Amino acid sequence: MKTMRDAFLERFTEIAKADRNVVLLCNDFGAPALDRFRAELPRQFIHIGIAEENLVNAGAGLAMAGKQVYLYSIAPFVPLRCFEQIKVHMGFRGFNMNAVVVGAGFSYDKSGPTHHSLEDVTAVGAVPGVEIWTPSDAVLAEQLAVHSLRPGPKYFRFDREAVEDLYTPKEDFSRGFSRHGTGTDLVIVATGTIVHQALQIAKALKPRNVDVSVIDLFRPKPLDADALLAHLKPARRIATLEEHFLHGGLGDSISGLLHDHGLTVPLKRLGVPEQYFFEYGGREALRKAAGLDLATLIARLA
Amino acid sequence: MPPPLDQEVLRQKSRWLRRQTLQICRQAGEARLGSAFSATELYVALYYGDFLRFDSSKPFWPQRDRFILSKGHALGGLYPVLQDLGFLTQAEIEAICTPGGKYGPYGDCVPGLEAQWGSVGHGLGVGAGLALGAQMDAKTWLTVVMIGDGECYEGATWEAAMFASHHGLGNLIAIVDRNRACSIDFTENVLRLDPLDEKFRAFGWEVETIDGHSFAEILPAFQRARTQARTRPLCIIANTVKGKGLSQLEGNPLGHVITPSTGPDLERAIRELA
Repeated sequence: MKTMRDAFLERFTEIAKADRNVVLLCNDFGAPALDRFRAELPRQFIHIGIAEENLVNAGAGLAMAGKQVYLYSIAPFVPLRCFEQIKVHMGFRGFNMNAVVVGAGFSYDKSGPTHHSLEDVTAVGAVPGVEIWTPSDAVLAEQLAVHSLRPGPKYFRFDREAVEDLYTPKEDFSRGFSRHGTGTDLVIVATGTIVHQALQIAKALKPRNVDVSVIDLFRPKPLDADALLAHLKPARRIATLEEHFLHGGLGDSISGLLHDHGLTVPLKRLGVPEQYFFEYGGREALRKAAGLDLATLIARLA
Repeated sequence: MPPPLDQEVLRQKSRWLRRQTLQICRQAGEARLGSAFSATELYVALYYGDFLRFDSSKPFWPQRDRFILSKGHALGGLYPVLQDLGFLTQAEIEAICTPGGKYGPYGDCVPGLEAQWGSVGHGLGVGAGLALGAQMDAKTWLTVVMIGDGECYEGATWEAAMFASHHGLGNLIAIVDRNRACSIDFTENVLRLDPLDEKFRAFGWEVETIDGHSFAEILPAFQRARTQARTRPLCIIANTVKGKGLSQLEGNPLGHVITPSTGPDLERAIRELA
């Protein structure tokens, strides 16, 4: 299994070889796939130091000089340590700047809450015009390297862990989501690697005569409202699932979408409760502490 | 590119610019007169003193120098220049801060300069990115960033200072408008910035200190900045007076936020700038 980071960076390196205008800036965050990029394309790699404000500022300057800019960081530090720079440079003028971050949710499970990223989607989502992608597998992550060349500011939020692939490169990712299953008793809208948990829930509820389908919403912003509503309207119940704080996250987006269109389907939002977790026993222990482990989720949705 | 002018002509231009700026700042509310007046001679030298390369008929001329006004609060003082040179029309100037007008006190995309912002601390980093981009592509244009001394409190300014010298950005010039005041007090009362020249020197910059109201000092410094080949970024610290030219503002710790708009204050200001 490949990590999203490796899948993205490997494809990205090939793209950058063909396009010398592509530059990647990082804030002292590495990866073996990045080592290859550095070795092969040293003139397109800029280590900015541990200086996130300058990461975005200098990146904006390079974008103004005509470069296709990538900001590579661990998730909790971009966007939060340089949020006003993101607002001004990615938000105001819509520069071709791609923030590529690793460490969605509890990915850095043994590093404590400084390294958990549970606010970033809310923060970036508050800036008009920035696309947000939170893929659930490496196949999509690789496709996103190609997508990243399209104009405009984008935020790619990768999990650190390698997970089973859900897709093939033939999948059409353009609507921003994919539906798994046809059940309408319960439709779970999830994003990121916790989509795999949602698929497990669907399996577990089947014998209990709850026919579940899962919508992998790998592009939380912008939402393809019409396409999503067509899938959500027939649902008897809807749940949202995210490894992120609830406030301003995926659940709020879906809730807003439904209400704005006059739909009153019962909705349950599942995410990380509003507190920080000083728990160092690994990803599953953290998910359990947050009520996002499989058993708890099944009990909450049965 | 206008022809180089003699110093007396530039001084007259500065007097004209202060009068025009007062008018715009009265109209544009949030525009900062004190900030604009400390930078007036610097603006005049940049745009009329044979320094910046630009073509007002083609604001995006690829070979233009990239000028960033990082201390965007002082944009009010640049609008008359941009109109005079043909980047903006009289109608656009009159519409500043009116419903439907395109431009505000701090603006966003204003033709005649690359960028300016209402929030401080962005310019040096963005300028460093621009200069690095130029260096990568062997472009010969310069990146010139004017920052306020208040911006030297921002960590981002020093992140950028370190970055610019590490990358040997000899095509980057920072002009610090050292007017010794931020918004509500003098810098040395708030948090000491001196010795600012030694700080930039320690960060690997070439540093030159001038009187920012004297063309006899500004013009040669700008000429050297333009013509000397460098392997390090250059910082020109321009010692200035916040609110220069108006007795109501000079020496006033609140000179950043005061604009004489009506009555005797305005009459006195108009008299002093005549």
